Amino acid sequence: MDKKKVIVRFYRFKNRLKEKTAGLAPGKVSISAEALEAAEAALEKMAEDYPDWVSGLIVKLQEQHGRCVDSPEKRRESLEAINHIAHDMKGQGGTFGYPLITTIADSLYGFSYSRDEITDNQVELIKAHLDAMRAVIRGRVSGSGGEIGEKLIDGLNQAIAKYDK
Amino acid sequence: MSDYDFDRVNVLLAEDSPFIRSLLVNSLKVLGVGNVFAVEHGGDAIHFLQRVKNEPMKVGVQQIDIVISNWDMHPIDGMMFLRWVRRHKDSPDRFVPFVMITSYSEPERVLQAREMGVTDMLAKPFTIKNIGDKLISIIERPRQFVHTKDFFGPDRRRQKLEFEGPERRVLTDKSEGVEIIRG
Repeated sequence: MDKKKVIVRFYRFKNRLKEKTAGLAPGKVSISAEALEAAEAALEKMAEDYPDWVSGLIVKLQEQHGRCVDSPEKRRESLEAINHIAHDMKGQGGTFGYPLITTIADSLYGFSYSRDEITDNQVELIKAHLDAMRAVIRGRVSGSGGEIGEKLIDGLNQAIAKYDK
Repeated sequence: MSDYDFDRVNVLLAEDSPFIRSLLVNSLKVLGVGNVFAVEHGGDAIHFLQRVKNEPMKVGVQQIDIVISNWDMHPIDGMMFLRWVRRHKDSPDRFVPFVMITSYSEPERVLQAREMGVTDMLAKPFTIKNIGDKLISIIERPRQFVHTKDFFGPDRRRQKLEFEGPERRVLTDKSEGVEIIRG
């Protein structure tokens, strides 16, 4: 007899995760209110630390920028380090109420992504990004930042248009 | 009404940003999750799961219950990691619930992850409530797994809609060519 051809397999398993977390007793289960509150408080606490954390990263970017200036032959290496930090920053600015940091980090990320050559002007552009980030954190410019935010981003884009060559 | 006890739950978290990583580890721990194993990218996550399979005693965990992974990571991103979990022969559990974190909420990205067999998506920026809701959804509403020639993953139909009328689906549980595996 021909083995029948299977077109689709459905896998239906016992809900072991439910057994593990809620036991076998019937009834509605929820996440403990105290745990939720505690977790929210912990998240808020971390969000408060966010500007300090970004400042730490800006210092690291600053060091790499300094290396670009001091040892032009090692620019590629520094650029890679900058790209890595920018990637890290662009992922979470929005999560903690600083979308401008995400925008600027995103620009820096694109700018530092796999470049072979980097001119002195372009090294200056890295600095322009750092200055903009610093302005955001120093001024605690959260959200889109309104007029100040717009000015910062405009200024940065103008600098890129002018010096990215 | 009682509370979930997440104490015996093992979560594997792959997230490349140290800040978000510690944030998630912290949030999960405060919610009561017993074990959170955090790694930096998809490659490390694959390596970790291989170790869970080959030397569980050394790693200190028999089974990962939930995987939470960022999408955008280097060098191995969340999609490559998901593909490995669902399709690779060395994967210790091809059925493990897999939550993808992403700041991309475009429908196309969501669709792409769904076709690769993602269980759920967690969009950045997220709140504690978002994380809690994902945990509840994974525990309370697991979906059957579907395996066809071009798909393997949780059933992409989430809703069970009542339908009055004749059954017109080509395949039902009783059709030839349909195999049901229970466990």
